[in-house]
Amino acid sequence: MDVELTLNGEDVTLTAAQSDTLLDALRGAGYTGTKRGCGTGDCGFCTVAVDGEPVKSCLQPVARVEGATVETIENLGTQDELHPVQAAFVDNAALQCGFCIPGMIMRVTQLLESNPEPDEREIREALSGNICRCTGYEKIVDAVQDAAMRLSNDGAVVSDGGRPVSSNRSCVGCSDCPGGDGE
Amino acid sequence: MSRTEEGDEESTPDGASQTDAAPPVEFEEGPDNRRGPDELTAVSSREEKADARKIVTGEAKYTADYAREFPDLAAGKVLRSEIAHGVVTELDTSAAEEMDGVYAVITPDSAEVPNDPYTSAGQSYPEPSPYDLRVLRKRVRYVGDPIAAVAAEDVATARAAVQAIEVSYDERDAVLDAEAAIEPDAPRIHDPESVENHQPGADYERNIEAHAEGEIGDVDGAFEAAADRSDLTVVETEWATPHQSHCVGEPHTTIARRDQDDRYHFVTSTQVPYHARRQLARLFDVPIRDIRVTKPRIGGGFGGKQSIVLEPIALALTMAIDRPVKLEATRKEEFHAMRVRRPASITVRSVVTDEGDLEAIDMSVLTNSGAYGSHGLTASGAIGKKQLALYTHTPNIRLEMTAAHTNRPVAGAMRGYGAPQGHFALEGHMDAVARELGMDPLEFRARNVIGEGDLDVASSILKEGDGEIRGGGRRIRSCGLDECIERGKRAIGWGDVEQPDAPHLHRGIGAALTIQSSGVPNDELGAAHIKMNEDGSFILQTGAVDIGTGADTAMAQIAAEILGAPPEDVLVQPSDTDISPFDYGAYASSTTYVTGTAVKKAAQDAREQLFDFAARLLGEPRETLTARDGAVYAERSGESVSLKEIGYESIYGDEERAQVMGEASHSTPESPPPFGAQFADVTVDERTGEFEVHDLVYAIDCGTVINPDLAEGQVTGAMHMSYELAVGSGFSFDDDGQPEVVGFGDYGIPKADTQPPLTPIFVETHEPSGPFGAKAVAEIPTNGVPPALSNAIRDAVGVRIDDLPITAEKIRAALDAE
Repeated sequence: MDVELTLNGEDVTLTAAQSDTLLDALRGAGYTGTKRGCGTGDCGFCTVAVDGEPVKSCLQPVARVEGATVETIENLGTQDELHPVQAAFVDNAALQCGFCIPGMIMRVTQLLESNPEPDEREIREALSGNICRCTGYEKIVDAVQDAAMRLSNDGAVVSDGGRPVSSNRSCVGCSDCPGGDGE
Repeated sequence: MSRTEEGDEESTPDGASQTDAAPPVEFEEGPDNRRGPDELTAVSSREEKADARKIVTGEAKYTADYAREFPDLAAGKVLRSEIAHGVVTELDTSAAEEMDGVYAVITPDSAEVPNDPYTSAGQSYPEPSPYDLRVLRKRVRYVGDPIAAVAAEDVATARAAVQAIEVSYDERDAVLDAEAAIEPDAPRIHDPESVENHQPGADYERNIEAHAEGEIGDVDGAFEAAADRSDLTVVETEWATPHQSHCVGEPHTTIARRDQDDRYHFVTSTQVPYHARRQLARLFDVPIRDIRVTKPRIGGGFGGKQSIVLEPIALALTMAIDRPVKLEATRKEEFHAMRVRRPASITVRSVVTDEGDLEAIDMSVLTNSGAYGSHGLTASGAIGKKQLALYTHTPNIRLEMTAAHTNRPVAGAMRGYGAPQGHFALEGHMDAVARELGMDPLEFRARNVIGEGDLDVASSILKEGDGEIRGGGRRIRSCGLDECIERGKRAIGWGDVEQPDAPHLHRGIGAALTIQSSGVPNDELGAAHIKMNEDGSFILQTGAVDIGTGADTAMAQIAAEILGAPPEDVLVQPSDTDISPFDYGAYASSTTYVTGTAVKKAAQDAREQLFDFAARLLGEPRETLTARDGAVYAERSGESVSLKEIGYESIYGDEERAQVMGEASHSTPESPPPFGAQFADVTVDERTGEFEVHDLVYAIDCGTVINPDLAEGQVTGAMHMSYELAVGSGFSFDDDGQPEVVGFGDYGIPKADTQPPLTPIFVETHEPSGPFGAKAVAEIPTNGVPPALSNAIRDAVGVRIDDLPITAEKIRAALDAE
């Protein structure tokens, strides 16, 4: 079946089986930043935003997102231009294996939109559905507090419509480049 | 502080002599290693984790994310035993085979499925673990044993096909507890004829996989003496620990395929690419060279991915259908069909003088290996010997261990490797002894504990024979335990606890000392290769397996320190058996210590070549050259040449051209222990037994800290896992051996809102045998929370919880029993 939705700011049609979850469909379409950890909604690795709300995409039948607006980790910043929440996770070393991090960041961006100045207890409660096995959560809590400060300085959360990853790197010596006549 | 004074090198416990010379205190280290903390730049920086940006953008690729690179990829699923013990009598795969989209169903009878036994333990060769399991089996020994597997066009079809396989069982009585399993009338789980087991003490009549014992001194004599003397006290305690799941974020996942060179290529979530390659080659009778194992980003290992569990099934499937196959464990499979931390029952007896000097320690360990042997001897032995090293000055020490098979999930390696179970017992016991004597628990420890310059023979106790320790023991050349204790005490408020106003609330503090190793002595090899690009950057290849720890980043920092390069100019390639130098893998806390040293040596080799070019370019003698700040400096003239200039010169120069390439291997008999002191601060409600943990402080001596951000993450993450062992749910099973914990929802993993604060403190020492003075960091903080918290509860309300997990019900029951 085909499911039409707005995904990271673009109108797309996902081809999926009737029984597929949103997670299945996203990963099948190449949005592999969203991770599968349990399939039962307990780990939070597959958290995405559906119509502005955090949703565990492994529990969401893809048929139910027809016409919805879905945002995934690919909708945030790029490696060269990180979203403030992403930058806060990097700068606070709030990651190790990283498998939980895309879902964690999606949950955090939602938290900071609804509660721009959460205290530690509010942060920990908001993240109670997002397991991390590596960090002990200390640096993640630090990162969320840091992200809140960055966002309050920056103004609103940036949502730039999921631009594709661009490469600014110039190549050396290929035939399409000026002077690329080497062997 | 220790009873053996520094310089008293020949002192050994009474009754145990040494055949080999004990290792000397001195250790020869080169000038690079002798740099003081102020001279270190790259290794001590909080360098951004090399993969951080691709992780936060979702671009980091784990095994499952490679699926799209193989358009004809088939999905695999495994049919697993639904009973705990028995034999499959009928296996009807016809309905599954006829389903649309099913490519193949394989069973134990399929030609592609080897019949030879193997071990899932990803250990070095020859593996200590027995060869006792088959890729697929009809004789099933736990709920989850793989019987058959399906490859199909998609996961849903594969799942449906597995469900369409009809299985009949001849069910046998199951035995679930280790204590019951070693009784003479217990159901027998293995036939010794079909197992290859070289472990000592195996006795399959009693379901014993391995049994070992060792003694230093005369333990029975010490207890006999204690019976006659009023100035000696005997204390006996018993302890029990439950199953623990690694709870790896990324489930075990593997992609197997035959490539265009007719070789088998795996992209797989493993901690041991080289051991996996070797073991798969043997099992499938394929030359080692015809298997390639590529390790992508790994979503956590913690020992769980030191097992070769899915790869053989995936290979058999791909051989059957000649297409790439992906197998990805479900979370239920993670909990029960991958590997777990082994439960242990531990008895500790000791003799102590009125002054608080330990005269004897007698430790007996029984572990539940589950259905198959993996790490049974080595992890069960580690339950005793790892932490007995703390009290090596005790003149009489005995350790006895038994690993027993049951019809439960298979135990394997898990962060700490036996030490968490052992620390719970021994550090709880030491607290009990101190209480018995009326001494401060830490002052009692201080009288007895090991210190710098001392010789540790206790960790070699299982290598004892005829009263002698083979290998001469282990010399402690760095030990910051005193300072760990002092700084931890200050941070937690030892001896200065303010009691809550409410009379039913009681606050207490507990402590536990901890120890681990840095790699497996004499049983590791790390190798590294580093080459220079013409822009002055470097590409570092090591077999170091970064499973999420940041090892790649730490390796780059070590190389950068030697080369004088910015760490970001050292690019690290993830391990791949076709490309990377050899490595034993990510286990035993070996990466920084062993592979890190190989990287340092390879970088030194490369630096010699940099100096060749620089000496010529600068016209200065090479002995005056130093590499720093992205250049090579001639200290006499102050002139310098940048790494970039050297890079271009080496490759495009007018004179002699030679790429700068360094390489080295490292293997060592040394395995210096990191040390640490764990503290817990708790308030207990005596009416309900409920407790609140206010803080968990861990002061660690891991030598020189390489990348404090990464090290802190290791400590807090390990403490989280240690806290879970203390208070989490463990596993439960019904009487038939059916698991009752099958997902995160049932399992007591601490979450952001239930994890108490974690406070790491670093006490830096200098370990002369480690790279820039570093020792291991990743495992040791897994050891301390259960005993520290149990001791804190004892401090608060006077009862001691000796079986994990610690629960309000157990505390309440213990208070009622008083």
